[in-house]
Formats: sequence, C-alpha cells, structure tokens
Amino acid sequence: MSEPLLALDGICTDYGKICTLRDVSLTVGEGEVVALLGLNGAGKTTTMRTILGLTPPRLGTITYAGRDVTRWPAYKIARLGIGYVPEGRRMFKDLSTLENLQLAENGRAGAWTIPRVFEHLPKLSELRARKAGRLSGGEQEMLAIGRALVANPRLLLVDEPSQGLAPLVVEDVYRILAELKKTGVAILLVEQNALLALKLADRAYVLDSGRITHSGPAADLATDRARIRSLMGLEVTAR
Amino acid sequence: MIEHLAPQLVNGLVLGAFYAIVALGLSLIMNLTGTINMAHGSFMTLAGYLAYTMVLRGTSFWFALLAAPLIAVLVGVLVERTLVRPLYAREPFYSLLMTFGLSLMAEEVYRLIWGSNGVPFSPPAALDGTANLGFMVFPAFRIFIAAVLVVAIVALALFLTRTRFGLRLRAAVQDTEMIAALGTNTQLLYAVNFGLGIFLAGIAGVLAAGMLGLSPTSGNALLMPAFVTVIIGGMGSLFGSIVGGVLIGLAISLTTLFVPAASEVSMYVLMALVLMIRPRGLFGEEGLFG
Repeated sequence: MSEPLLALDGICTDYGKICTLRDVSLTVGEGEVVALLGLNGAGKTTTMRTILGLTPPRLGTITYAGRDVTRWPAYKIARLGIGYVPEGRRMFKDLSTLENLQLAENGRAGAWTIPRVFEHLPKLSELRARKAGRLSGGEQEMLAIGRALVANPRLLLVDEPSQGLAPLVVEDVYRILAELKKTGVAILLVEQNALLALKLADRAYVLDSGRITHSGPAADLATDRARIRSLMGLEVTAR
Repeated sequence: MIEHLAPQLVNGLVLGAFYAIVALGLSLIMNLTGTINMAHGSFMTLAGYLAYTMVLRGTSFWFALLAAPLIAVLVGVLVERTLVRPLYAREPFYSLLMTFGLSLMAEEVYRLIWGSNGVPFSPPAALDGTANLGFMVFPAFRIFIAAVLVVAIVALALFLTRTRFGLRLRAAVQDTEMIAALGTNTQLLYAVNFGLGIFLAGIAGVLAAGMLGLSPTSGNALLMPAFVTVIIGGMGSLFGSIVGGVLIGLAISLTTLFVPAASEVSMYVLMALVLMIRPRGLFGEEGLFG
C-alpha cells in the first residue's frame, strides 16, 4: 500500500496539565473514510484539533501528504487542503451564508468554487443573504460542509455532523458525505452514533481515555455487537 | 440664542468625531484581541509631534498629515509584535498594565525630545480663515477636521464591509480559531488590525495637535473621553463608538455653553445615565471577554 495521506505517529497532546491523548497513531489513506469512535471525553475532538494545529501535540509527529506538519500554524495546515467541519458547526453567526463561504476561499485551486457549492447544495443558494446565525441546525451543518469544500480539501475532518439534528436531516447530511466520498475526498469522521458512521466508513478506530483500543475494517466493527453496545449504550445511559 | 447655540453644536460634532475616531481604534484592537490599549493616546501624541517636527523642517502640512500617522503605525506594529503579542494568551489585565507602563514611558520620552511645555502647531495658511456656513461663520480648520474624520470613518466602514481582509477581520472577532482553521493567518490579522487602530489615532493626533494643542500629555487627555465613548456606545460595537463619540461631544460642548463648570463632568453623567438604562452600553454585546 502506498503512503497514507495523513499519519499520526505516537501523538501525545495535553490540555493544560491534563494529558488527553496518549500515544495515538492512526492513518487515513487517499480517498478513504475513517471513523473515529469513542465516548464523550475520549479525545476525539482533541485528535482533530491536534491534526489542525489548533492544539499542537507535546510528542509525536503528524505527516500529511508526505510533509511533517507537526507544530505548523493552523492556517498553513488548512492551506495544504485539510477542511474542518467542527462540532457545533461554529458558524460566523453575524455574517451571511455567502460571506461564510467567502471566508474559506484561500487560494487553493480545485474543482470546488462557491457557485459549485450552491449547485450541489441549492438550499444554501436560496439562503445566501441570510445571517448564518438565523439558519436552522441542518442548514448550518450544510453550510459548515460547504464552507470546508470551498477550500478544495483533500481531507475533511468532520466532527459530530449528526449532533442535534432531526433524523431526516441527518440522512441528508450523510447522503452528502457519501457523495463526497465518491469524489475521492478522504474523510476522518467523528460521530457519537457509531452505527451511522460505520455505514459510511471504510475503517474505524476506537478511542478510550486518550488511547486507541481498537482498529480495523468498519464492517467488522459494525458486527461486533458487544463493542458497539459499549460505545453507544453506555453513552445513552450516561446521559 | 441661536447665534451661540449653532457654533457650540457644530463644535460638539467636531469634538465628537475626535472621540469617535479614537474610540474606533480602541474598539478595533479590543474587539479582536481583548487588548485594552492604554498607550493609544501616546500614539496620538507621537503622530502629533512627528507632524510638528516635519512641518518645522519645511515639509508641507498635507504630507505630514499622512506621513506622521504612518510612522506611528510602524512603531505601533513593532510594539504589537514584540510586546503585546506575547500577552494575547493571557487575561486582558496583563496587556492593560503593559500598555499603561508604555504610555508612562512614552510621555517621558516626549518630554526629553520635545520639552515639557506645549509646542505651537498651527494649521496651514490655507485653512487659517473662516468659512461661512450660511447660518454661521466657523473656523475653516475645524470644518476640514470634521471632513477628514468623516472620510476616515467612512473609509474604515468600507474597508471592513467591502474587502476580503475586512471580512476576515469581522469573522475573526467572532471566532479566531475557526478563521485560522479556514486558512487565514491570524497573526497577520492581529498586526494589521493594530496598525489600523493606530492609524486612526495618528490622524486624530495630528488634527488634534492643530486644534487642541500639543504637549507630552495631550493624547492621553483624549484617551479618557474615548474610553467613556466606548462604554457608552457599548463594547464590541464599532457603530456604538461613533454614536457614543457624537453624544459625548455634544454633551461637553452644550454644558460648556450653559454650565461651563460642569463641562468636564458631563460625559461621566451621560455614561452613568446610559449604564443605568442599558448596562451593556447603547449597542453593546454580551461576554466580550467570555
């Protein structure tokens, strides 16, 4: 197998004095969808923040497209083609839909432009002048995905895309992610709803207290009922 | 009555434009980085003295009006990169103390170079006369000041709303981290934004030197009204800074006319009134330092 698009090797990341990631190693291949599963506080979001350069690691290396990007500033990492669809969407609420998309234009050439995003997500085109803070949760999720696409990413980091959305809207979001997968964009997907994520993913990792405790093909994990129950069931009772 | 009232009202508007433009610079810096720039007045004074020295050496006033603020911007960006930047990760209190110390040092440096007493800085001959506004006669220099300040405010508004850089600045005020994750160099934003605030202060500094006088402390004298302006207008709101500035300018000039002794205190009374009705200021946002 050729070199992976993204590789984390022995990553340890601290949040203040608390060590949130311990010796995390994972890879995402070109065009591959990889699910990152685990309970709340397992370190899934920290893993994404570490890759993005928002919370640099204390130890370990991050390689992306053959380059060591460990401790690079976030904006340089983003310009290499890593798109981010964050948990809770993180819209620029006072800016319009169109302005939110314009912010992501960072000069990276590629097939995705704002008109093409509007073509694929016509709902956003209708809402182009509306302030992002006044969009519904589902519309905001679409906008968050569209915003990431405008930068023509080779790798998308998608954090909890189904959170707080109605089931029908979740279906919509996953349909879009599946379409993106077909275009050859690699996706690292964090999701509370493990079964949903495993349907889309090729491979999966399970994080527990900052360590990777399982890795393998998504299809195998989906049939491992005991592990799924511990990933999802505990989550339900914990709430 | 009208012959006394009209000039005071126009005076109040000119004064208000000064407060507004200084407050706008303060707000720009405060909104993006949480830095309360206590040295803002020092940059005004610096630009004033630079313009004074340039004109003294035979440079034209018009050139100095642009060049002096730009030199102040260079100094400002240098200060931001070396002294303010390391404090961004800390609470606003640290940068407040640092810039306050800086303003004290700057005052002494100005004393050393230009002397303790005020220096005369008069407007160019072309603006020396008066202008007939139809209903009253008014010093031409003050009309000019008002025009420059209004142009500067409009230019700032266009820059923020019509350019890609302005869009990024407005977004970064809401979420610096996300804007970095979208590929924007936030350190560059911080530096340019600080420079922009200092440029506004510099323009105000040169114009104020010609209207209100120039001494080592003259910029700091405008700083307190500017802070009151920000509070009245509401922290986080640039539009609020403009409205706040005009309100204070009018309050001061009208009390000067009717109760001269109370002119100093009028802006604080206005601030107290506004805060009683709207604790966040007229257009303020919640949780600026979240």
